[in-house]
Amino acid sequence: MRVVIDYERCTGNGRCYALFPDLFGDDESGYGQVIGDGSIGDDQLDEARSAVVACPEDAVAIEGE
Amino acid sequence: MLGKMTAPTKFQLADAPMSADRTAGFRFVSSFGEVFQAANGTWMLTSAEAVKFAVRHPEVFSSAEATNAGSGIPIPLIPVAVDPPAHRKYRLVLDSMFAPRVVNAMEDDLRTQARDLIAAFANKGECDVVGDLARLYPTQVFLTFFGMPLDDRDQLVGWVETMLDHSTTGTAEAGPEVVEAATGLFGYIQRFIDEKRERPGDDVLSRLLALEGDDAWSDEEMLGCCFLFTVAGLDTVTGAMGFLMRHLALNPELRRQLIADPTLLGPVIEETLRVEPPAPTISRTTTQDVEVCGVRIPAGSPVALCLGTANREPGHWEHPDDVDVAQADRGHMTFGGGIHRCLGSHLARRELRLVVEEFHKLIPEYEVAPGFDPVAVWPAGTLHLTSLPLVFPVGDGGA
Repeated sequence: MRVVIDYERCTGNGRCYALFPDLFGDDESGYGQVIGDGSIGDDQLDEARSAVVACPEDAVAIEGE
Repeated sequence: MLGKMTAPTKFQLADAPMSADRTAGFRFVSSFGEVFQAANGTWMLTSAEAVKFAVRHPEVFSSAEATNAGSGIPIPLIPVAVDPPAHRKYRLVLDSMFAPRVVNAMEDDLRTQARDLIAAFANKGECDVVGDLARLYPTQVFLTFFGMPLDDRDQLVGWVETMLDHSTTGTAEAGPEVVEAATGLFGYIQRFIDEKRERPGDDVLSRLLALEGDDAWSDEEMLGCCFLFTVAGLDTVTGAMGFLMRHLALNPELRRQLIADPTLLGPVIEETLRVEPPAPTISRTTTQDVEVCGVRIPAGSPVALCLGTANREPGHWEHPDDVDVAQADRGHMTFGGGIHRCLGSHLARRELRLVVEEFHKLIPEYEVAPGFDPVAVWPAGTLHLTSLPLVFPVGDGGA
């Protein structure tokens, strides 16, 4: 299971890394990046789901849930 | 066939009862439907689905055409007055200049400036949050970012407010004082472009001037960009700051919870931004016939994206009309969305946070001055309070 960012939609709102710094970081332009390959454990699933809801561009998704 | 044809309604945005209560105002707007044509011909998109559709199709919903038609300013306001693909070049450069990392590096300076403004009235027992803080601080932050002297603050505030007061009343002809203000502001910015070309500093203006070759910006591009910051990035933060402090003044329980648990500040800021968006609508013009939520909008139509109603979509929030920290961070549209998402959003959020943190350090208990009713100006391009007088106990004269 992993979190992914769709860069066709991401416009650098920065909510993902502001709210969930365990799952996302920022780049120099303020765009979000998944940490590592975005893999998450079951214990991070709630956080990941909240990140999906928090993104105003609907750019965050969970793969393999 | 592209959706159903509909007739214009009798809706006029100015009729929305927005001044005393945005809930009543936005409900009035939504009551006409999720996509409808106002009496003046503008198409109103009120649902989250409709607004998101528009911001995600910038080639159909042109920001350039809408901005250039409405601004009355003879140079393009960069980057909102630019459509894709040219838009990307500007945004790539600007995003990195207003990213959270850049704001982080400025935080100590910006915090000190907020504290100094608040300290100036902290022992007086009363203040006007709008006049003494919210009108001044965003302009200081702008001057700091662009490497201009803070001493010029009041001059800048005067020019910008004169221009905005007139641009939002919808009158076609700008009076002489508006022309004078715009000319003053253009001249001021041009002076600093010239100065920083000679003697670069560590600021946004100098960094833009340092771009070379195909990436280099012309003076006109620089002017348009600086001008946009002043007309879009100052009164909006003033508005948001007024509404945030108003909410905290009217809700002492929430304020005390917040002081006890500072992690609530982010959620409180997001919720007030959602419920009280300073820019209730943003403008676009259709470049082709398009169907939105089953309704056909012809090419060349003016369109207003209603961020305020999209932010209160029933079903998406448990209490759509209330500031409720338990439902914060569900993706509001106050900063717009898509490629034109507010460039200053990271900075605006930081300004709001620093002001509340520093205010509460010096003035933890306060209330709206007895008898004063903090109503918003309406109709207006930017929702804002003109005044928010607060009264508060003064300490023992120490500090």
